[in-house]
Amino acid sequence: MKTDARSAAPRRLMDIVHAALFEEIPFNVAVIDRDYNIAAANSSFTDRFGDWQGKKCYEVYKKLHQPCDECPSVQVFETGKTIVADAVGIDQHGKPTHYVGHVAPLRLTEDGPVDYVLEMTRTVTGTRSWQQEYQILFDRVPCYITVIDKDYRIVRANEAFRHSFGDVLNRYCYEVYKRRKSKCPNCPAARTFRDSKVHNSNQVGTDRRGHDVHYQVTTSPLARTGDQVGHVIEISTDVTAVRKLERDVVEVERLAAVGQTVAGLAHSIKNILMGLEGGKYIVSLGLKKGDEEMVNEGWEMVERNFAKTTTLVKDFLSFSKGRLPQLQMVNPATLVNEIVDLYKDITARSGITLRSEIAEHVRRAPLDPDGIHTCLTNLVSNAIDACQMGEQKGSEVVIRVHEKGEKLVFEVADNGCGIDYEIKQKVFTTFFTTKGGEGTGLGLLTTRKIVQEHGGKIVLESEKGQGAHFRMEFPRKRLMTLWREGHGKQSSQTKQVRS
Amino acid sequence: MNETGKKILIVDDEQDVVRWLSILFRENGYHTEWAYDGREGFEKAEASPPDLITLDVSMPRESGIKMYGNLLKSEVTADIPVIMVTVASPKLEEFLGRLKTKKAPAGFFEKPIDKDELLKKVRELIG
Repeated sequence: MKTDARSAAPRRLMDIVHAALFEEIPFNVAVIDRDYNIAAANSSFTDRFGDWQGKKCYEVYKKLHQPCDECPSVQVFETGKTIVADAVGIDQHGKPTHYVGHVAPLRLTEDGPVDYVLEMTRTVTGTRSWQQEYQILFDRVPCYITVIDKDYRIVRANEAFRHSFGDVLNRYCYEVYKRRKSKCPNCPAARTFRDSKVHNSNQVGTDRRGHDVHYQVTTSPLARTGDQVGHVIEISTDVTAVRKLERDVVEVERLAAVGQTVAGLAHSIKNILMGLEGGKYIVSLGLKKGDEEMVNEGWEMVERNFAKTTTLVKDFLSFSKGRLPQLQMVNPATLVNEIVDLYKDITARSGITLRSEIAEHVRRAPLDPDGIHTCLTNLVSNAIDACQMGEQKGSEVVIRVHEKGEKLVFEVADNGCGIDYEIKQKVFTTFFTTKGGEGTGLGLLTTRKIVQEHGGKIVLESEKGQGAHFRMEFPRKRLMTLWREGHGKQSSQTKQVRS
Repeated sequence: MNETGKKILIVDDEQDVVRWLSILFRENGYHTEWAYDGREGFEKAEASPPDLITLDVSMPRESGIKMYGNLLKSEVTADIPVIMVTVASPKLEEFLGRLKTKKAPAGFFEKPIDKDELLKKVRELIG
């Protein structure tokens, strides 16, 4: 048989317990009658609101002279049901005090009318301050913050968001952000709902005028650890202006590159014109003097500068045209041997040793043989120049080919004059040359372009006086992808892409 | 053409330019000497000071900018008139910018040069 603890205890004991509870409970407790008179209150209430004896509740709570507009006690007297309410009052020192509490009916007889209400309130002034601060932070932070539910409806939005998008509560986030009728395919909030993790993404939305807006979005789960995510907080920053600036910077850089190219071209042409002018002068002087040797010298100068024009135009076109590599399955060793054959006489005459190191098991690869030939020619030609400028005995140029992991690697190394740090920063720059009028300044740039067209990269290692080492690395996976994409199958056709 | 007995040092990395200027000056009564970069040019100028120097700006090893600075620093070469013969380039602008507090070169000629104007300037400077 069940025993009711209260009924089992002596009445005297229960009275003591009730009295103690009334006094010790950490709430402001007051008993109020139908005429708003405070019939009883505990010391916590007295400490907070001051003397209450013979006073109306609105006088004590709010220092008013008439009942509050929305009095919770009246509501409880009318309905007979407990309610939870919050309000702002004035404490006994005249300071605003926020409180929340239960207002419960008290009946003197079990089935009788509500004779009193019991108000148990707790002061939450500190908590409210924090809430207000968070609310200000939520509203004023210079980005959009929304809370969305599992149906992707916006249940909360901060001021910035409301200002830009209007009244959006209960509307779908995809509808508001992107004017879509269904969920976005790459929705970061969906990922957060799925895995409870923070996700970042870049999104393009549409504003009220139909313009594109670029957002950087962070989605974060709004749930305590271990709970299922019921809501996601979505923080978006409008980065449209940043994107525009980025585009502007690219445009400025592009224009600067065009300017640099034109200036470089003009520089080369002026040098050539100077040579032609000189040749013309010497020929003319030779003819005037009847000096055949002088005429020949001048004519050679004209021819030399005419050849420079041809080289410049050829290099420039080779560099400037967008060209897909014409891939063929070739033996990399064959390409290296061709270059050695091409340069062996020139190097021998200059006292430079030219040799190749071809590793075993170098496999065939889909390469543009003409392109790689151009790259190796440029690198070996530079290496020979470096050896000649180095003025040291035992000059050597080595061409290597080997496999390094999943990469096919060509290397050209020399022990010539080397390249110092300042020049190393410029070697892949348009029209940069250390060879004066002998170079067009396009060789290494063209080489890098061809390597990149193969999906590879070129690396330079050098110190002044320590020789130079150029390495072209071609990831085989990338080469095979290019090959499969069909570039190799149409090797007989020249494919151009618009640049 | 009468011998002037004056010597001009031509400093340029382009052999054709050196050869042309060399013949041009020789035909007009000047002795010539040449160098292919700034370092070699300064060494020659200091070892055997010429009456005038024509100087290119963009050269390997050591530029005309560096060489001009060295010429100004040396007591032996500081007063030698220098004519810059160069392609107008950002390097030249940089060079001009640096000259604000220094002695400016005696003349500037942009490639391709007008040979008569160059000769006129040379005569004006050293006779």
